[in-house]
Amino acid sequence: MIQLQHISLALTGRQILQDISLDIYDDTISVILGPSGVGKSTILKIILGLLKVDSGKVIIDGRDLTYADTDDALDLRRKIAMVFQGNALFDSLTVEQNTAYFLKESEAYSPEEISRRVNDALAFVNLSGTEDLYPEQLSGGMKKRLAIARAVVVEPRIILFDEPTTGLDPINAKVVLGLIKNLKSKGTTSVIVTHIINDAIAVGDVLTVLNEGSVVSSGSSGEVLRSNNPFIKEFLYEIYDDSLFINNKELLRQ
Amino acid sequence: MKLPRFSSRPFSVSSPGFIAALQDYTLFALDILKNLKSVMKNREETIKEMFVIGTKALLMVITGGLFAGIILAIESGHSLEMFGATTLIGRTVSLGMIRELGPVITGLLLASRTGAKNTSELGAMQLSEQIDAIQAFGLSPIRKLVVPRVIAALVMFLPLTLIADVSGMLGGIFITNQTFHVDFAYLLNSVVTVLKMKDLLVGFLKPVFFGFFISSISCYYGLSTRGGTTNLGKNAISSVVMSSLAVLGLDLIFTKVIWEVL
Repeated sequence: MIQLQHISLALTGRQILQDISLDIYDDTISVILGPSGVGKSTILKIILGLLKVDSGKVIIDGRDLTYADTDDALDLRRKIAMVFQGNALFDSLTVEQNTAYFLKESEAYSPEEISRRVNDALAFVNLSGTEDLYPEQLSGGMKKRLAIARAVVVEPRIILFDEPTTGLDPINAKVVLGLIKNLKSKGTTSVIVTHIINDAIAVGDVLTVLNEGSVVSSGSSGEVLRSNNPFIKEFLYEIYDDSLFINNKELLRQ
Repeated sequence: MKLPRFSSRPFSVSSPGFIAALQDYTLFALDILKNLKSVMKNREETIKEMFVIGTKALLMVITGGLFAGIILAIESGHSLEMFGATTLIGRTVSLGMIRELGPVITGLLLASRTGAKNTSELGAMQLSEQIDAIQAFGLSPIRKLVVPRVIAALVMFLPLTLIADVSGMLGGIFITNQTFHVDFAYLLNSVVTVLKMKDLLVGFLKPVFFGFFISSISCYYGLSTRGGTTNLGKNAISSVVMSSLAVLGLDLIFTKVIWEVL
């Protein structure tokens, strides 16, 4: 379980997060929802230990890792993987080398084990047969799936997804969301940050809505959609077109 | 808040936070020194970097050294000719190339080539979140990316400087022989015999220090890149400027210290 307790963070003089508290339970898909620039991705980097908070606590599996330095946080990081918004693939490495990169670096696996895991991960994201291609030869959807394979291959307990469907066409977005759901069935906890309400509703067990660095609402998708908070109403309804509005109303009725 | 050190302020003389940035760079450089032993684990990357520095810069260094030697021979030759001392041109070229021009010309050329390469590569990796990915999976970008580049520079700058030295001396000998009609065998003998251990020590130590500062400054700028491609361009320029200034500054310190101490 990941617990963020009253965390605040300012970067380059700007308050990014203000007294955020958030619980992420095991074996769930938690979605952090909000418009761009409200600090959603920052939360993921705090969970990973890439950023340290100004105040508050970051507790993972009951262990306070708020100010753990890099070496202390290493064990934790091996349990958590991240799929970056821009995929962060290594351009000079092939699909297979990208997928195997962190396994090889850990020096904890035999070549046979690495090969088996890479094959399994690529099969899971339906990229078998592309092992020798380079990232520049892949489509946007394939790159995203490769990024997921690279995260899955280390068999993490928790995977953080930063805007996993942004920039993808609806078909590829659906494939990626399907993969996230499949991961849940395998017992992997997922944390997704997104500004796309449809995605959040499609996969999220728990939705947390962020605005101006603070939590506005948190709960199941039904609870969040029924919220009377003016920002949520504006965010959920007014920025989307009428068809979505109708879909959400139907969901509310259900 | 505590950010990774290299993700803080860009290192720029025009910045009001120059002292703070200098502090960041110093901590960054100390981090590199602390992690130097990790080179064995990343020897594949280190050898690759050595190959890139060595092979890609070879022609540039030979040409730079050759031009410097020829210019030195012509300029000193015309002055010495007035005193009928053209036989001293060989000594002048030899000392000038080994002690000063060889290391400085090579340092400046590599500051632009290797410096720009390191900054743009690491900066692009930073902007595309590859550095974050490396950290997210529990790896150290300093061990994985910076140390191999620094070690490669430390190893390769010396032989490249020697090549520039030899190239410059041969160019100087040739032009002296052709322009001032000094005997070729005499010149060849004088460029070798004039050199003392002190001269060789100065000439061989400088590239090692230049290598460390050029590679560490350029990596620092690369990892400090934030925002977008405009900042990457700015950082690449700043990296070359600061590396070049470091080469000239270190050369000044070396020259002064060596003349005072040895």
